[in-house]
Amino acid sequence: MGIPVSYYLVLSAIMFVIGILGVLLRRNALVTFMSLEMMFNAANLIFVTFAAYYRVLTGQIFVFFVMTVAAAEVAVGLALMVAIFRTKHSIDLDQMSSLKG
Amino acid sequence: MNLSDYYAITPLVFLVCWAIFLLLVDLWIPAGRKGITALLSAAGLLIALVLVLRSGEQVLTAFEGSVVVDGFSVFLSVLFLVSALAGIALAHDYLQRLGLERGEYYPLLLISTSGMMLMTYAYDLIEVFLALELLSIPLYILAGFSRLNLESEEASLKYFLLGAFSSGFVLYGVGLVFAATGYTDFPGIAKAAQNGSLNPTLFLIGAGLVLTGFGFKSALVPFHMWSPDVYQGAPSPVTAFMSVGAKAAGFAALLRVFVVVFPGMSVNLTPLLWALAALTMFVGNIVALVQSNIKRLLAYSSIAHSGYLLMAFVPYGNASVRSDAIAGMLFYLAAYCLTTFGAWAVVIALEKAEGKGLELEDYAGLGHRYPFLAATMTIFLLSFTGVPLTLGFWGKFYLFSTAVEGGFWQLALIGLLTSLISAYYYLRVVVIMYMRPGTPQVQRNFWPLLTSGVGALAVVILGIAPGVLLNLAVSALLKGL
Amino acid sequence: MTIMQIIFLITASVTLFAALMVVSTRKMMHAAMWLILVLFGVTITFALLETRFFAIVQLVIYIGAIAILIIFAVMLTRRSMNADVPQVNRNWWLVMVSSLALFVGLVTVMSVWEGFFVTARTAPPGGENLVQLGTALVDPNGFVLPFEVASLVLLAAMVGAIYVAAERKEK
Repeated sequence: MGIPVSYYLVLSAIMFVIGILGVLLRRNALVTFMSLEMMFNAANLIFVTFAAYYRVLTGQIFVFFVMTVAAAEVAVGLALMVAIFRTKHSIDLDQMSSLKG
Repeated sequence: MNLSDYYAITPLVFLVCWAIFLLLVDLWIPAGRKGITALLSAAGLLIALVLVLRSGEQVLTAFEGSVVVDGFSVFLSVLFLVSALAGIALAHDYLQRLGLERGEYYPLLLISTSGMMLMTYAYDLIEVFLALELLSIPLYILAGFSRLNLESEEASLKYFLLGAFSSGFVLYGVGLVFAATGYTDFPGIAKAAQNGSLNPTLFLIGAGLVLTGFGFKSALVPFHMWSPDVYQGAPSPVTAFMSVGAKAAGFAALLRVFVVVFPGMSVNLTPLLWALAALTMFVGNIVALVQSNIKRLLAYSSIAHSGYLLMAFVPYGNASVRSDAIAGMLFYLAAYCLTTFGAWAVVIALEKAEGKGLELEDYAGLGHRYPFLAATMTIFLLSFTGVPLTLGFWGKFYLFSTAVEGGFWQLALIGLLTSLISAYYYLRVVVIMYMRPGTPQVQRNFWPLLTSGVGALAVVILGIAPGVLLNLAVSALLKGL
Repeated sequence: MTIMQIIFLITASVTLFAALMVVSTRKMMHAAMWLILVLFGVTITFALLETRFFAIVQLVIYIGAIAILIIFAVMLTRRSMNADVPQVNRNWWLVMVSSLALFVGLVTVMSVWEGFFVTARTAPPGGENLVQLGTALVDPNGFVLPFEVASLVLLAAMVGAIYVAAERKEK
């Protein structure tokens, strides 16, 4: 007896929700970004699970592209954060109130 | 190797090659003469425009059906290319004035445009996702293009986090749709949906999450959190490009996905869309009332216009109204594009370094000192409001009438009501321009003035004779309809 | 309960605990370390599905590249996390309630599906067909267009990251 699909689905759903929580809750841009990575991973888990389930290639191809895109986003995002930190010495999102109003 | 596949997407291939070519050529163009890069990229966009128009009205499929070039994508591609041209016309002098003249602006803009075009061609969720990233990643950078300006950098970071968050939702939604059906290409999913060999619950949540993701991208109301900050902080030409291009691309993808993939889900999704549209119209217009910064005011106005655009989606399940609704949306997008670029051109003409010249008070006296600019701005604001004889009026007219046709007269009523509310803040700007004394300072530069002039002319002429544009929008059919 | 299920449950609980710690810990470096544990948990889950290739790729790309980059960023911005400042938003309760609602919604709706307890199929013995995967990526009748678009995304990101992070010359 193997592992039911539901296990994978629930694991990925919980990870996705924790990721959302992190994005919405935390004020530190880097921690927010880590939470985003967890959301992407949750999606990858679904793709891999169902690529194996349906025995089709598309799911695996999708994971491949998600990883590529995640790498691209990490480059841009971390560059931005480091650049902001250089000018402002903070990456607290709530302090970015020069734009509130 | 099948060349006809590439033939179908020639404009896209050309644009991408041109962007890479520009990246290289830019190395040899000395700083301070980046006008050459601007001209070269404009030339590339014009050639791509010709290539798009050449492909005409035939429906082409390529790459095993994962790409579809139809009237819908041609119409929107033209819109994106025109937006990019306007984005360049507005940018060159602006960047020079603010000391940001860097060659990277233009290739990034071109790459983003190609992402938008791919979005309208995409017939597979893999391509939708990649196109979304391709259009977003350059925009994150462009939003932070004025590197010495903290506001711009913060806008960039916020836009990045928001964009990645929305991609996360789209991705998870696509994952659930894949889990439910085993396909990512539109025909496969549609077939699975028709013969019922799918898991409806996963499918429905997937659709909802995709909608949420694009909702963040197009700044619909519960998901609009940071968009005003981003619109305010980003350099004005980028904001103009973003508020037209990214929004139109988001709606294009949503429309194709909804009409082709989720037509059977309309029972569940229509009330959701209804609520989102109503909420977006209300909140966007009401919050705009209290804004004193013109960029922020236009940001909320753009949120409100997303609400009107979303109205076209509400009757999508009703096959008899659907094509009218799509035509109405395309017409509205074209009207919105012309009006927005015109208005931003005026804003850019008045904007000075370090975010000065952006308060509404800075517009006092514009009517006496610079009658041309004030007159064009008045035309754009009237068109935004939807006053008869402007293009905006016809846009709203077609949208509201299809909503009524589809049996959603309450929504049309809300649209009408919120348009009346919006008249207050749009006309307030007109009143300030003409009634208050003041000495506004204007940068006299050819390109922004040209953009606003052409925009005003188009809004007036097409407002008097809307049939031309409407015919184009009606004939821009979506494949599979 | 089979041995596989027990392994899965242990992995899942460790992963989820680590995920919670990423979201709740006060120190950024700790958050990054917990994130590595999450990514490793996902790797093990991939291995349980016998998708060996993606388990390795997950290890190499996510832990080897992305997590390391994040750690670099943490070190470059290390003074940004002041433990005295509140770490959460003002409307945290709203977020909590809505996330809880979303989660309950997701799971209840999912559990209605009759296929919920179907046993997951692992990849065919011998793992994925890598030759097929590789060919599909460069096949005009397969996924060559997304492949090219992905390379373009990377190009744009590279240009952008260099532009943002390059040494600025004050005028």
